Amino acid sequence: MALLQIAEPGQSTKPHEHKYAAGIDLGTTNSLIATVRSGVAETLADLEGNHLLPSIVHYAKDGTVSVGNSAKLFQCSDPENTVSSVKRLMGRGLADVQAIKEFSANQLTASGSGMPAVQIFEDIKNPVEISAEILKVLAQRAENALGIQEGDELGGVVITVPAYFDDAQRQATKDAAQIAGLNVLRLINEPTAAAVAYGLDTGNEGIHAIYDLGGGTFDISILRLEKGVYEVLATGGDSALGGDDFDRIIAGLLVEKANVEHDDRQAYQMAMLKAREVKESLTDNESVDVQFMHWEGQISREQINELMSPIIDKTLLACRRTIKDAGLKPADIKEIVMVGGSTRVPLVQEKVGQYFKQEPLTSIDPDRVVAIGAAIQADILIGNKSNDQLLLLDVLPLSLGVETMGGLVEKIIPRNTPIPIARAQEFTTFKDGQTAMAIHVIQGERELVDDCRSLARFELRGIPPMVAGAARIKVTYQVDADGLLNVFAVETTSGVQAEIQVKPSYGLTDSQVTEMLKSSIDKAEEDMQLRMLREEQVEASRVVEAVRAALEDNGQALLSEEEFDAIESAVQQLEIIAQGTDIEAIKSAIKMVDANSQEFASRRMEASIAKALVGNEIDEI
Amino acid sequence: MKNPFELFGLEPNFLLNEPELSQKLRNMLQAVHPDRFASGSDQEQLAAMQKTTQINDAYGILKSPVRRAQALLQLKTGVDGTGEVTVKDPMFLMQQLELREELEILSDKKDMNGLLAFAEEIESMEKKQIANINDFFQQEDENHALDSDKILTEIYKLQFLRKTLIDIEAAEEKILG
Repeated sequence: MALLQIAEPGQSTKPHEHKYAAGIDLGTTNSLIATVRSGVAETLADLEGNHLLPSIVHYAKDGTVSVGNSAKLFQCSDPENTVSSVKRLMGRGLADVQAIKEFSANQLTASGSGMPAVQIFEDIKNPVEISAEILKVLAQRAENALGIQEGDELGGVVITVPAYFDDAQRQATKDAAQIAGLNVLRLINEPTAAAVAYGLDTGNEGIHAIYDLGGGTFDISILRLEKGVYEVLATGGDSALGGDDFDRIIAGLLVEKANVEHDDRQAYQMAMLKAREVKESLTDNESVDVQFMHWEGQISREQINELMSPIIDKTLLACRRTIKDAGLKPADIKEIVMVGGSTRVPLVQEKVGQYFKQEPLTSIDPDRVVAIGAAIQADILIGNKSNDQLLLLDVLPLSLGVETMGGLVEKIIPRNTPIPIARAQEFTTFKDGQTAMAIHVIQGERELVDDCRSLARFELRGIPPMVAGAARIKVTYQVDADGLLNVFAVETTSGVQAEIQVKPSYGLTDSQVTEMLKSSIDKAEEDMQLRMLREEQVEASRVVEAVRAALEDNGQALLSEEEFDAIESAVQQLEIIAQGTDIEAIKSAIKMVDANSQEFASRRMEASIAKALVGNEIDEI
Repeated sequence: MKNPFELFGLEPNFLLNEPELSQKLRNMLQAVHPDRFASGSDQEQLAAMQKTTQINDAYGILKSPVRRAQALLQLKTGVDGTGEVTVKDPMFLMQQLELREELEILSDKKDMNGLLAFAEEIESMEKKQIANINDFFQQEDENHALDSDKILTEIYKLQFLRKTLIDIEAAEEKILG
């Protein structure tokens, strides 16, 4: 039997370990990974020195998957098996995305998940799997750059999502990370991440607006920074509006000039690439000579400005709405931060500057600022900076509601409510002996279900049979700190917990994710069983460490001797069992520790609050 | 479970010091927000989420004058103010009709400046009504009992003004497209 290690009181059981954490910006056009090294957050480059990883995935017939610049090479030669802008498909339905021209009609197909899938030879790949390929390449890059040894891995990642992403889009992002084998510390909103990157530089208190125009999404967030706390006051935007729309509109011009056939997909792809070149070159020049297919001519900045203007106006309308939502006026905004590659377009800077009546901030590379902010947050969450008081308080971006009679939406939690948050609703049964009921959860601002996004259908089963109207079913909608929804139901007169089955409208069920995780692991390389055991052991040591630290912190003060011993012995038990190879035994030992420390955890929260309030009163004197 | 005032360590009072409230929110969340326990045990993460949810919920109640008044009324008299309220004040019913009519005319005319001015008018009415409600709550000290029906009516009036402001914003949005 292994000897237990007992640390001297007041000493931590382990020397302080630096844990590796990274921030990932999973973008529509490009993705990045960043990490904090020696106190500095920086994006990481691949072996060729490129920081931006084009979010393009190519599947070859022999099963080889390439990502980034190597996949980009196939964009013109093998467009059918090359996927770009996959972020636009995440958590959406087939009908939502059929209008997007990057995906030809025969490339997209229906899948079992409700999400569109991409036809790759005989196989279909869903957006979550495709995104996981991008994440895997980024994680590998971080492991190389940080010198993480084979078998060891990144402790955790923070992944950014557009603030305007709905629940299905967020869940899809988290699922992709799970399939890529990453531990997600938190999903944070891109604008919030950008604010963190800027805020730490300037230490600026006050109200900031973050204008984030990426490849495929537009976000506007209003934040208040005060004493290290970033409080998101309101957020808005459009999850189907971005710099790609500029390219598309310029490509349209090129296609028209060159008289290209409408269904010439290859020509369309080439026009998109050319359009991006034209746009970028017009950032610094007033006009540019263009050659596209048989057409040769000049395009001026003025010409494309006219085309882009309505798109930018749409973003300013969203700005207006969001500032109002925050209960503010444009004059209250102290600084406006520009994020996203598309904010390099001079007309964007000009129009935003005019609207806010001030010069927008562009000092951090708009392509990298989000990843840098995410890395700073990841470093804090993993516990490398225990004394840092930076805290992000985010909000629910879109109202949550349920379907009621006649296809109407009843709002449960309005948008811009700080998260985590929960609301409860009471239902009753309609028929004698009814034991099941269905709840359709919706996200959006409109009154009709059809005008909003369908998130999921929850089926409650196991309601005790009673006469009609006698049962009281309390349904709780809990939104966690990642902005993800969970639903619980209990019959209050009997206390019976109803069983909930979730059918995501556009997403994967838990078992589908597990299936994909299994199939994504190369069986020749690694034994599934071994991997699961290792994961469970890592989890066990995390639990042991966390509970020990809590006991040391205030276990004596908050627990009776008996309670203290019960937790301590459960922890010791877990330590012993975790050295074995029985996965189920480790799982149940973890559950044992959890059960024993539940009450302790909530007493700790109470104690922290009491302390925080007392501290506050002292501050006031 | 603690009432929102108690959770924030405040005396149950309708008047509120907003900077103090947000300072308390920040201090409490610094201590218990789930981000503080991102690498903690599952129990701690769960407890942190539940506690933060409670704090956020209480903050939402305290910050909104309507919800704060309802919570205070419930606390002082046990009357639940969140249900249906019947208002019999004919002056107010008349005013209600007039305000709705004005909103309708302005939105039909797509009169943006008119809507902005109208919103300002309602905002100042809202401020007066908040002061009014405070007076009713203050009367408790002198008469030792609160007239809950009267307060319910006053809260309803405030709620109506808030709703009108939201509708004005929706009308503005519609004009802007």
